[in-house]
Amino acid sequence: MEHSCREHYGIFTIAGDLPIQGAYRDICYQPVRDNIWTASEGIYRTIFLEGKTGCIAFDTFGTPGTARAYQAAIGRVFPTKPIHTIVYSHDHLDHTGYAADLAPEAKIIAHDYANRVILGRKSDGQLAASETFAGERTSHEIDGCYFELIYPGPTHGDGNTAAYFPHSKTLFMVDTVADGVGYTTLMDWHLTHYVPVMERFLALDWDLFVPGHFWLLTRARFIEILNYWKRLFDFGQQAVIDGLDPHNWADLNRYTDEKLGPLYGREFRFQEYAAMNLSRYMQHYLTGGWGIEGNLSPRLGPL
Amino acid sequence: MAENSGLFTLDSAQAYLSAEPEMTVESLSGRLHTVSDGTVRTIFVEGDSSVIAFDTFGTPGRARAYRNAIAATVPDKPIASIVYSHDHLDHAGFALDLAPGAQVIADELCARVIKLRGARGQAQPTRVIRGPENTLTVDGVDLVLLNPGPTHGSGNLAAWFAPEKVLFSSDTIIASAKYGFMPDYHFRNLITYLRDFLALEWDRFVPGRYELTDRAGFERGIEFIEAVMTACQQAFVNFVPIWAYEPMKAFCIEQLADRFGDLEGFEDHVGQMAIRIVHHYLMGGWGLEDAETPGVLLAGLVTL
Repeated sequence: MEHSCREHYGIFTIAGDLPIQGAYRDICYQPVRDNIWTASEGIYRTIFLEGKTGCIAFDTFGTPGTARAYQAAIGRVFPTKPIHTIVYSHDHLDHTGYAADLAPEAKIIAHDYANRVILGRKSDGQLAASETFAGERTSHEIDGCYFELIYPGPTHGDGNTAAYFPHSKTLFMVDTVADGVGYTTLMDWHLTHYVPVMERFLALDWDLFVPGHFWLLTRARFIEILNYWKRLFDFGQQAVIDGLDPHNWADLNRYTDEKLGPLYGREFRFQEYAAMNLSRYMQHYLTGGWGIEGNLSPRLGPL
Repeated sequence: MAENSGLFTLDSAQAYLSAEPEMTVESLSGRLHTVSDGTVRTIFVEGDSSVIAFDTFGTPGRARAYRNAIAATVPDKPIASIVYSHDHLDHAGFALDLAPGAQVIADELCARVIKLRGARGQAQPTRVIRGPENTLTVDGVDLVLLNPGPTHGSGNLAAWFAPEKVLFSSDTIIASAKYGFMPDYHFRNLITYLRDFLALEWDRFVPGRYELTDRAGFERGIEFIEAVMTACQQAFVNFVPIWAYEPMKAFCIEQLADRFGDLEGFEDHVGQMAIRIVHHYLMGGWGLEDAETPGVLLAGLVTL
């Protein structure tokens, strides 16, 4: 369609301007370890790396405005080192939708599964990868930065890839583990093997986890959160057995307050999202896993 | 566990899986009938010597209750064929309890997902069809099975009965606003594909849930989903906190109540629909099913 938005507009279809696309958001940034930095606009989080001559940015943030703010933040920290490489964590626009605004000339690395979706989607502002990798694990030495990209199996989105920094004992992965009850209805999650796929990362030597949302986590906290998602499988089944309607918002909230509240009521955003989490898990048992990705049997041995 | 258990692993699921609810059958013609347990709905057709059942309902007990309802309506004709509307267990999970010897007809993608899933009680399709339209003659009944593209679930087939002027499509349009979080919907081309059904001649619509409706009700259902999709985009324009249930609900009620507030369940469900649909625009759709020209990522990994 002809679009009148002055910014890259993703997959929006409504006519007229989209002021949120251009809105500037302050980006906070801080060093993590060694050459790794992290950036956030308050909800979303990512990392960038200082190379010898330039920077490697992971992801782009989710609007043209935040992509430009991300570029400005990196430029503030490393004013003489332009972004020459972008690594996509996965395909979703809210994390990787706007390379065209962040660094349009940069080399883009992504997993083949993510790139296939990006090519099919044709979202305005989301650039296809210039270098893809297939399989489970690949190592990169770019401009003096060493990291490994690991696709552990279906978790969330397509081709969702972690970045592992063995020398810094740091792991970065988006939209899989974040603190508390941090996700709504677990959009585009592939629940069937999600927990055992994520547990594969415990075979690696790291003690600091950078998630795609909110704040950094210790390894112990990462495990606690995975245990929450693991226990929800039983809660989800039991809710179906108890006759709870997964589409009744009031009843979902009553049920989660009663059954999950005593265990998890103090977790971050429990009141907002626990009912949505439970509804999604109930659907897993009612409908089965969703699609090919939701039913694959990935390799589950240690990485 | 004594019953086929789908994906359930808890022993306490036994009573849930076994319960046999009352089924209500309504005849749409001399040979075509619709049946509901009060929530899920499907159809069955009387053939020359047997019955063609669409779907199975979502537990072993419900499948048996469905079988009994068919036997009460069409005595002396066994269920020899089952057509899966789509892959989901709540509709098509328990053919082994409904009619274990029946042939099972399904779309190719539906069959691939079922094979991967390996749910206990969900029979693998024995007759796989491909493409957007298939006309099959099964026991004297001409079945027109339509898969316009990704709508809901995998390999979702609608059935068009031209003589009766009836269209059956499961978990796409319902005659109310009770969609909830719209699990496994594919929004990119949903409206286009559903409108394609309007090119056919029919005046009665059988949805996969709740009550029947007519052509106007179907069209209004499409308009409602389309309006929620537009409202969700407007939520971005208006800087609504899209992550939060109450603000999204309030915004959509404000935008849509004048046109759709009379739909049953509107206020209780539009917030859930909004949370789901707003993420479509935020994230870009899920997988190749939501691509401009849809496909299925990794389907080639599954052989039938």
